[in-house]
Amino acid sequence: MSHELIAITMFATMLVLMLTGQRVFAVIGFVGAAAAALLYGEGAIEMPFNAAFKLFNWYPLLTLPLFVYMGYILSESGIADDLYKAFHVWFGGLKGGLAVGTIGLMVVISAMNGLSVAGMAIGATIALPEMLKRGYDKIMITGVIQAGSSLGILVPPSVVLVLYGMIARQPVSQLWLAGAVPGLMMATLFVIYIVVRCRMQPHLGPAIPEDERDMPMGEKLKLLRAGIIPFLIFFFMTGLFIMGITSLVESSAVGATSATIAALVKRRLNKDVMEQTLRKTLGISCMFLWIILAALCFGAVFDGIGAVRAIESLFITRWDLSPWEVLIMMQLSYIFMGMFLDDTAMLVIVAPLYVPLIIALGFDPIWYGVLYTITCQIAYMTPPFGYNLFLMRAMAPKEISLPDIYRSIIPFVAVMTFGLMIVMAFPQVALWLPEYVRGIR
Amino acid sequence: MPKPIVLYVKYVDFASEKCGRLAMLLVFVMIGVLLLDAVTRNIINFPLSWCVEMAQFTMAAYYILGGPYSMQMGDHVRMDLVYDRCSEKTKAILDIATSGTLLFYLSCLLFGSVSSTIYAIETGQRKFSMWNPSMIPIKLIMVFGITLMLLQAISMLFKDISKARGQAITHEGEQPTV
Repeated sequence: MSHELIAITMFATMLVLMLTGQRVFAVIGFVGAAAAALLYGEGAIEMPFNAAFKLFNWYPLLTLPLFVYMGYILSESGIADDLYKAFHVWFGGLKGGLAVGTIGLMVVISAMNGLSVAGMAIGATIALPEMLKRGYDKIMITGVIQAGSSLGILVPPSVVLVLYGMIARQPVSQLWLAGAVPGLMMATLFVIYIVVRCRMQPHLGPAIPEDERDMPMGEKLKLLRAGIIPFLIFFFMTGLFIMGITSLVESSAVGATSATIAALVKRRLNKDVMEQTLRKTLGISCMFLWIILAALCFGAVFDGIGAVRAIESLFITRWDLSPWEVLIMMQLSYIFMGMFLDDTAMLVIVAPLYVPLIIALGFDPIWYGVLYTITCQIAYMTPPFGYNLFLMRAMAPKEISLPDIYRSIIPFVAVMTFGLMIVMAFPQVALWLPEYVRGIR
Repeated sequence: MPKPIVLYVKYVDFASEKCGRLAMLLVFVMIGVLLLDAVTRNIINFPLSWCVEMAQFTMAAYYILGGPYSMQMGDHVRMDLVYDRCSEKTKAILDIATSGTLLFYLSCLLFGSVSSTIYAIETGQRKFSMWNPSMIPIKLIMVFGITLMLLQAISMLFKDISKARGQAITHEGEQPTV
């Protein structure tokens, strides 16, 4: 069997088994282990376990459980309630203002956490019920929360960029800085979309009556204090890391600790909250880490059959594509596969194939990391397989149905694709900040 | 279901739960060790070489020991395009049909972990670093965790079989998939 045929068979088997609804890690692990045994014989039976030691050496992944823990503590800590109130009063008067405020809230949360889990939890429990009560259109706000929380992996810190950094061997601090401006740009695009849409169709997001938001200017300014704790957490966690004082894994421990302290100060930490946080942290972390473990085995087999060179020869020799066409093909194939296959596993399996090619074609791997992350964001939201979709379904109030959730993402995916094109066309959007910081060091 | 199977399910589920609830607390060990590292390195300028490695070991123990409990709770994500629309009974039948994948993968993991542990014990393997710790304890922990994962997978299979026959083994804690 030719190597290409093996690769296609592996992917096809994985896809078919995924459709049966078996656990993702079991499907990927099985295909990897079975392919290894068939290709390399008995000795390869140890390959799945050897992946555990690769994972062992990827110690920056320690940030994953710590960020998950931090996300759940933050969502319980009451920080988000104060922030939401501030955004409510300051933006409520605008048509669609609460949705704009929610995007603001999501940006602040994203700056404190590297996954979309925290944003989803906060959005679905605090912002969503509040906006539903005010007569906001349920489809629009469902999309707002999914799109807004996906900024968690683009605005620093970001676990996806940590994973990418390990695969592409690029410094995480540079990658995080590269995500900052595109993240804010993406948030701005969301805001523009919401404002324009609500200007045209005011019933989607009615303004909050004056008397409800009316309070003396002094009170209004006091509400801004809600931003102090998030800023401190951002500074101690990401700030100290970018300045080179704490290492990456230390910074996530500092972040987890400061979030816990914030929750203690706000007197929100009780036995029940702690129990819930620890249990959910274990569940989500185990899910991701077992998938990565299985994907590493799958990836090792792929690597062994020379898939990197196969893709290179397919794109460059056989199809005769220009560098830009190769890049676009990669993004398209990633979005397509990300729809049906697990996004984390895709990162572990596909990135090692694409990154060497990207570097060989003369593209900047830091910039590609940002493109990759935005593509990931889109994949997180596109059915049938997306983490944000799953979370939304588990957390959304009853009146929001599955078709609502699916429909809600369409405009936001369009906006994100537009954002992706901007970053592709103007690499400086991503690269300016990391280059500037490198310059002053 | 025959009584030995019911007992098997009961005890394995119990062991997974206890083990997982212990693993849950390891998150504090990771935070603590890394915080200690940050403080000693930056504030009192006394770098400790073992902290990050200790955290690495802890994370391995965390997800391996937590795996069985998280599987029992239904935390492992599935592609549910078709699955989600099925009845509980059909879901059980689908899971039985594909349980071979899970069992095969976990068996390979177990085989690999055992042979790697035997190697570590025979050669007194140590991690090549400044701290230079023995690899035996973590490998033993992983063998234990993977064994429990396999036992848990078999327990789930028994539960699915009884569900498919329309008489669920009663158990607490399991939730539908996310």
